[in-house]
Amino acid sequence: MDSLMAELLLLRKRVGNWVLLGFWLFMAVLFSYLLPYYAYTSDLNFHGRGVGVVLLIALLPQNLVANITNSFPFFGGTMVLIMGALAMGSEYNWGTLTPVFTQRAGRLKVFFAKILALAIALVPFVLLVFLLAFLASVSISWREGQPIELPPLWDLLRALAAGWFLLAVWAAFGVFLAVLSRGTALAIGLGIIYGLVIEGIISSFGRQIDLLKQISTVLLRTNGYSLISSLGVTLPSEAGPGGFSGESVSGTQAALVLAGCLLVFIAVSAAVIRRRDVSGAS
Amino acid sequence: MGIGYDCFETARLLRMTQRIHRPGIRVYLRLKESKLTESHVIQTRELRKRYRPDIMAVDGLSMRVKRGEVYGFVGPNGSGKTTTLRMLLGLVRPTSGDCEMLGEAPGSPEALGRIGALMETPAFYPYLSGRDNLRVLARHASVSYDRIDPVLAEVDLTRRADYRFKSYSLGMKQRLGMAAALLKDPELLILDEPTNGLDPAGMAEMRDLIRNLGHGERTVLLSSHLMGELEQICDRIGVVKDGRIIREGTLDELRRGERLKLRAEPVAEAIALLKKLAGVGKIDAGDGGILMIEADPSRAAEINRVLVEAGIQVSELCVVKLSLESVFLSLTEEAEPLG
Repeated sequence: MDSLMAELLLLRKRVGNWVLLGFWLFMAVLFSYLLPYYAYTSDLNFHGRGVGVVLLIALLPQNLVANITNSFPFFGGTMVLIMGALAMGSEYNWGTLTPVFTQRAGRLKVFFAKILALAIALVPFVLLVFLLAFLASVSISWREGQPIELPPLWDLLRALAAGWFLLAVWAAFGVFLAVLSRGTALAIGLGIIYGLVIEGIISSFGRQIDLLKQISTVLLRTNGYSLISSLGVTLPSEAGPGGFSGESVSGTQAALVLAGCLLVFIAVSAAVIRRRDVSGAS
Repeated sequence: MGIGYDCFETARLLRMTQRIHRPGIRVYLRLKESKLTESHVIQTRELRKRYRPDIMAVDGLSMRVKRGEVYGFVGPNGSGKTTTLRMLLGLVRPTSGDCEMLGEAPGSPEALGRIGALMETPAFYPYLSGRDNLRVLARHASVSYDRIDPVLAEVDLTRRADYRFKSYSLGMKQRLGMAAALLKDPELLILDEPTNGLDPAGMAEMRDLIRNLGHGERTVLLSSHLMGELEQICDRIGVVKDGRIIREGTLDELRRGERLKLRAEPVAEAIALLKKLAGVGKIDAGDGGILMIEADPSRAAEINRVLVEAGIQVSELCVVKLSLESVFLSLTEEAEPLG
């Protein structure tokens, strides 16, 4: 418990984490509500042709879950990957593992306290984005004179849980990369390239190459989109930001694969932390 | 933990090894079996660390630090001092050898809870204040926040405690490192170059602080390049070279190899005669017929008599008081730079 409090203090006092949270909220609301609503209200020939109505309906509170959860497997994951890499990698950069590991708490206790603190820190990442999305959707409803209907509570709870779970996997991926690379820079670079480029390439080629198609079914984004798709969310089109064109798997399979990834990331990181010699700052 | 090695203790330790396959635990067990005394808070035997096939950082280092003493750990750069200290703290795993800290395995929570350490340049979270950094460490050490103000006062950092660490001068960082080391009110302090970056006044303050900390039951293991500093503070000193201790003892013991300064004519005959004498070690010939002789100072009269009886004119014979630096340089021979 003491180590957990220490790790929470570290996360809370780090300005970078608040910047990431703010940026994530801004991006989520911008891409999920502001830009689509701007497109709806602009002269894009939507009005009176059905497409615009569909677009507007997606922005209303009853479709909150479907609309906002799309952003989790894409830039939401990338944001918390950076947070995870910063939380762990900075310890290597600053050489702070030396004073921390020479206190009373053992290495694994410190590591799991950090993981738990990150898991707790992800809660506001999920709750605040849903809250902001709700406020945006209510504002749009009010402005368009639409009735305000809330999404079913069970759907909302499942979406919150799925969102937190997806972010947890990505944050653990960030920690994993930071432990392996003993720093932040390479971990963040590799993580972003993986999330935004490599997965997309594999998914794209998966349509022509069967092996890549199989491989894509164990990737984070594929399973992330599959998980939210199982909540009744329509996946974004290939062309838009965060567009996804890869394979889909069942919700259960996606949850199991993601849980497996989470366990592997944490277990390998813990094993490395436990075994590896600790030198000074890198 | 005492050396009592009863059946219950044996069974408990065996259970530990069955559960935890850690080199530190095995090392600890081997030492328990060797029944070393509790008066030593640090004991290593043939400690080795090989980083790569061609890099042996520590090569069979054996040392014992007694309870309540200030032990100086001195050696040229790259001699294995920091690696040894890191092994003692459980940060680096030994390749082989035995090690015991306060009767416990190195790196175990039981040992670390009683050890304070300051390793090289102090490492802290730059975005936190000095006080918050100590709060983080206090949490990890399960130490009350009440300890923070006293240790900040002890290192004279109270006034700047709420400034961010990244705004600290090197001297302030060093003092915060010392405050962190004192947080647990430890039985054993391990200090690696604690005066790094300090100005002369800061060094004098730090020296006084270490000297005070070394009083009573608290043991201090101090690694430093500054011979004058070690000379003033330490009860015993271990000289490390190429990963092993080449000389260990009190200052007086180290200086026991003090030299005799001899001016004699003819020099060549004097050297030839001295070489035949038992108990005379290395002879260095200097300018003006001066010889520096490695021999027990109590033998000066005997040496004088032998030379005079052989018809050699002795115009000067005295004991040369060696500084620790001279001892160190003569031991490490190549006289590598100490900086």
